[in-house]
Amino acid sequence: MPVLMAKGKYKFSGGVHPPDYKGLTEAQAIKAGPAVKQVTIPLSQHIGAVCQPLVNKGDAVEAGQMVGKSEAFVSAPVHSPVKGKVKEVGLASHVVLGRCLSVIIETDESSGAAVPADFGADFDDSGFTGEQICNAVALAGIVGMGGAGFPTRIKIDPAPPKETLIINGCECEPFITCDYRLILEWTNKIVTGIRLARKAAGCKRVIFAIEDNKPRAIEAFRLNRQVESNDIEVVELKTRYPQGGERQLINSVLGKQVATGGIPPAIGVLVMNVATAAAVAEAVVQRRPLTHRVVTVTGQAIAEPANLYVAIGTSAGELIEFCGGLTQKGAKVVMGGPMTGVAIADLSTPITKTTGAITVLTKRQIGRAKLEQRQTPCIRCGRCIEACPEKLNPTKIAHAVMHNMMDVAKDYYISACIECGCCSYVCPANIELTGYIKTGKVLLARQQKKIPQ
Amino acid sequence: MLSDIRVTPSPHISQALSTRRVMGDVIIGLMFPLAAAAYYFRWYALTLTGTCVISCMITEYLCNLLRRKPKPADSLGDLSAAVTGMILAFSVPPAFPLWAAVIGSAFAIAIGKMVFGGLGSNIFNPAMAGRAFLTASFGLLMTTWTIPATIDIKMSVIGSAEATDSVTMAEAGVVARTQATPLAHSKEAIKSKSGAKVLDEQIKAAFLGEVGGCLGETSALALLLGGAYLLIRKTITIHIPAAVLLGAFVFASIAWLINPDAYMSPVMHLVSGGLFICAFFIATDPVTAPLTKKGMWLFGIGVGTLTMLIRIIGEYPGGVMYSVLLMNALTPLIDRLCKLRPAGGIPDA
Repeated sequence: MPVLMAKGKYKFSGGVHPPDYKGLTEAQAIKAGPAVKQVTIPLSQHIGAVCQPLVNKGDAVEAGQMVGKSEAFVSAPVHSPVKGKVKEVGLASHVVLGRCLSVIIETDESSGAAVPADFGADFDDSGFTGEQICNAVALAGIVGMGGAGFPTRIKIDPAPPKETLIINGCECEPFITCDYRLILEWTNKIVTGIRLARKAAGCKRVIFAIEDNKPRAIEAFRLNRQVESNDIEVVELKTRYPQGGERQLINSVLGKQVATGGIPPAIGVLVMNVATAAAVAEAVVQRRPLTHRVVTVTGQAIAEPANLYVAIGTSAGELIEFCGGLTQKGAKVVMGGPMTGVAIADLSTPITKTTGAITVLTKRQIGRAKLEQRQTPCIRCGRCIEACPEKLNPTKIAHAVMHNMMDVAKDYYISACIECGCCSYVCPANIELTGYIKTGKVLLARQQKKIPQ
Repeated sequence: MLSDIRVTPSPHISQALSTRRVMGDVIIGLMFPLAAAAYYFRWYALTLTGTCVISCMITEYLCNLLRRKPKPADSLGDLSAAVTGMILAFSVPPAFPLWAAVIGSAFAIAIGKMVFGGLGSNIFNPAMAGRAFLTASFGLLMTTWTIPATIDIKMSVIGSAEATDSVTMAEAGVVARTQATPLAHSKEAIKSKSGAKVLDEQIKAAFLGEVGGCLGETSALALLLGGAYLLIRKTITIHIPAAVLLGAFVFASIAWLINPDAYMSPVMHLVSGGLFICAFFIATDPVTAPLTKKGMWLFGIGVGTLTMLIRIIGEYPGGVMYSVLLMNALTPLIDRLCKLRPAGGIPDA
């Protein structure tokens, strides 16, 4: 069966094409990360209920031991990546929440975990039933590792039925190369994960979607023996940010549009990131919980940018130190890529299951206007509208939020915003449109009493 | 090394674009008609344009002082006042006195823009507001047209038989002749039903700019080049210019087909008066035009149609100014009418 190739198509409207800076790390093979003295495991690394700690201060923990879980339907347990002793269960810096209840574990391991080898190409999935796969995934605490952090167990459930499984290998964010390296180095592991996820969810069709700026990865995947024998279609998409956004990807690949406020299963689609697929394979085949991930430590200020296999809970500061520190003055430390990542003020902030990169930006990359946060009045040029992949009116929504007119913001579908950052990226007046819209969403949720004041 | 790190919302990078650059591009685009104006109307074209630009910037500075802005000179950096000054200068007659130009510029910026809150908040195109004020205040000065300096006086030009008169331009030190513009001529023709046959040479003259008219709007060619520059630089999109020209062309064609003797040909209409400067530089002012593509089409067609309506049926020979101002007033309504539909459709709840 030939591998299907659809070249250079993309159907979502809008989007931008920022410089990708992937050259900094794309040739760097994944290597072991730093040996750490302590890890900070936040009890919330996913969408859904925060976990309850399962350990107390002073308890000894084994590597891979579950240290927090929740009985809620939408949640995912967290595990210790190291053998050691619980130093503290308390509030610690968190990339999204600011502060979050975390389990801090001290360890005396002398080196970072070695990078696990890829699987063989002769995997046989007949030994696992769909239910076994779902249970293993739930137990391993796997969440969407592309950034969203939605518990994978719920996604791969056979109900509601899903026709198509799309594997997201786009990695459209600038700077990040962790998924690219995974496709090159863990091809079999990813394909194994794909096969397991397909079996659990009962998908008939599998499409591997990747942008055309990664020819080596496309080649590696296309030539993989398992890809062909398992009827996985490879679709090459035109490079365009945010191609890897779930809604945009579905539109590009299938020409289908997920309804505003709707979710992909509603149109029979399941989207999974490549790193998540690899984690599924490890969880099911090797019974390994999600305790490590590949993080790209990058930026022109970093002495030796790298793709590292690191324990979740390692602090951003330690990773930057491990990569030789900074050669020039960094102006911003971002967890994630520059388009959607979160700028952190506290370098002790730990990486989580969804952190794909630590990006240190220099003043030059940020640009003077953005650095000085110089906003000028909106000239209504409409560039944000052109760039919006969801066809919203960012300037209208942002100005409504500025003036606290939440009913107007709602009227212009503030909740449909995917926070991709395209509007702020193109704005000549340098207005933080995405920032205002994000704030507006929080204000709206408060108004509707979804979260406390 | 990381003592001075910043925390802001994402995204953390942006396109190297600023309001200053957008306006700067418009100024570069306006250099084409400015060159044409300097060629046809000599030094005074530059003096007049310079006067308008400087008075606009000074007015903005003074308004900022009055508004107690901590840095009153800051907003001049976005160059929008300079753009207003240039467009205003381009839409007054070539021999317009400098003192009146200063008054017009002051009105354009102070009342047309700053009272609304400055850049981005004004409802009407400031330059057109200034021109409307000048038309209302100095009617005669606003309709005294000078023959381009390149034309041999002995040559017969449109309407030159009935309206030649000498006006001394003390500032420039030259003697200039005046003539009726092609549009004024055509207006007369409609009224007297004497016919408005246009020769190919006249269309060519109007296209190149060798006719009477406002300073920067006589040369359709120069405006086209400037407009092309803006389109290439993506400073403007094709929607508004296309809609304006299409609206005007269709309306003019209908009139012409009904009575080709009384009405000027649509091609002549397109190349005369302020239609080209309007299509590329005035109607495309983002602040006073709709935000959405659909809205831009509506707006542009409205401007083009109204211009022709005024030219053919109204009392004024040229109609660009009032049609732009009218459509500016309708812009909020158009924006409301053309609300965008999200990519995923309108949610049920």
